Amino acid sequence: MLVFEDVSFGFADELFRDVNFRLNPGEIAILTGKNGVGKSTLLRLCNGLLKPKKGNVRVAGFLTDEHKTSSLAKHAGFLFQNPDRQISKHTVKEELLFGLSLTSPDIDENTKQELLMSISDEFGLNPDSEIFTLSKGYRQMVAIASVLITEPKVMLFDEPTVCLDKLGKEALTRCISTRIEKGAAALIISHDLDFIEMLKTLNSRILILKDKLIKS
Amino acid sequence: MGGLGYFPGTSFLHKLNPIIKLFIAFILVAAVFAIPSLIAPAGVLVVTFFMALSCQSAKWTLKIIRSMIKFSIVIFIIQTLFIQTGDTLFPLFWGLRVTKEGVLFSLGFVLKLIASALPLALVLRITKGIDLADSLNETFKIPYKYAYAISSAMRFVPDFADEMNDIIEAQTARGIEHDTKGLIKKARLLAPLCLPLLLSGVRKAEIAAISAEMRGVANR
Repeated sequence: MLVFEDVSFGFADELFRDVNFRLNPGEIAILTGKNGVGKSTLLRLCNGLLKPKKGNVRVAGFLTDEHKTSSLAKHAGFLFQNPDRQISKHTVKEELLFGLSLTSPDIDENTKQELLMSISDEFGLNPDSEIFTLSKGYRQMVAIASVLITEPKVMLFDEPTVCLDKLGKEALTRCISTRIEKGAAALIISHDLDFIEMLKTLNSRILILKDKLIKS
Repeated sequence: MGGLGYFPGTSFLHKLNPIIKLFIAFILVAAVFAIPSLIAPAGVLVVTFFMALSCQSAKWTLKIIRSMIKFSIVIFIIQTLFIQTGDTLFPLFWGLRVTKEGVLFSLGFVLKLIASALPLALVLRITKGIDLADSLNETFKIPYKYAYAISSAMRFVPDFADEMNDIIEAQTARGIEHDTKGLIKKARLLAPLCLPLLLSGVRKAEIAAISAEMRGVANR
């Protein structure tokens, strides 16, 4: 589902060298490592926001070097650290449907409404709420829901629980679990021990980014 | 460090008094507009490049020039189309033509634009905002809070550029085609970004104001 083959990358200095790893369908990988080691950069390589200097990255079978990030969006759902960066609509409903219309433009109105109600229930969101009147925790849930509503094959989450309380983390774990059972895969950056404990009850493994390499 | 943010260093220009740096930048900008020849902006570009070279910012200067050239091409085309007087170089559609006068004027215009922006950008790159505020306060007796406001506003420029870049990345990851090669489509896609950028800008300004208040900026 997600494959790194001898990937090297860096900006001024090299961050990774010959990184290899594979994420299979139905699997969760939790990526940890010290601050500044390049975890978010590695995640950006997964959907082509950054291209590897050497080696290949494949997501859902597509080489990120050969495809635009926007066209990979229907396969790889990406959540950024700061939810406000990815929110661009006024209400929860508009925001959730916006993501869906980008990745599945041909979807019919009934299915759209079903998906909207289902994901809103999963996170306890009111579709008519105005997003920027919500707390940061709820805005984060809106951002997560707008990724999950598109049913991506690979979920790429960068610190998804920084603003979430325990209930929010439980809701997120349930949502990830449901999608993993359906065959999706997830690469999640997290330092949140509670959340990592929750994920460990699912089919997950921990990856550590250290010394320019990924270690299990 | 990229963009328009402060780049630390120990070069002669880094150590120079911020007011003198501003003064040099204004002299260069004045020369660009005062001397009616293409040699002036070209000369200022060369001088600024060598100054940037002396403070390890040559690559940065080329990057800034490259990104300004993209803008300038659009301005050049529009200017050339609007100036229809002079010798015809070649005819275009709907009776429009490209004239020698139009090309020379537009070239001068974009050169002046780049040459006047670059020295000021270099000043911001090699001067800490707080040092600039202090110098404005000491030299021109500008009340500290106004000097602080000016330097903070300057600091927000690179912050906004970074923020814009992050938002574009986030929206591209959702499936919006910011990674398209078409200039018009790219420009059209920037409109929905105004809301998150504006909101985060207001929020950031509010936090910066509270933080300045808490540190007693108003009492200085």
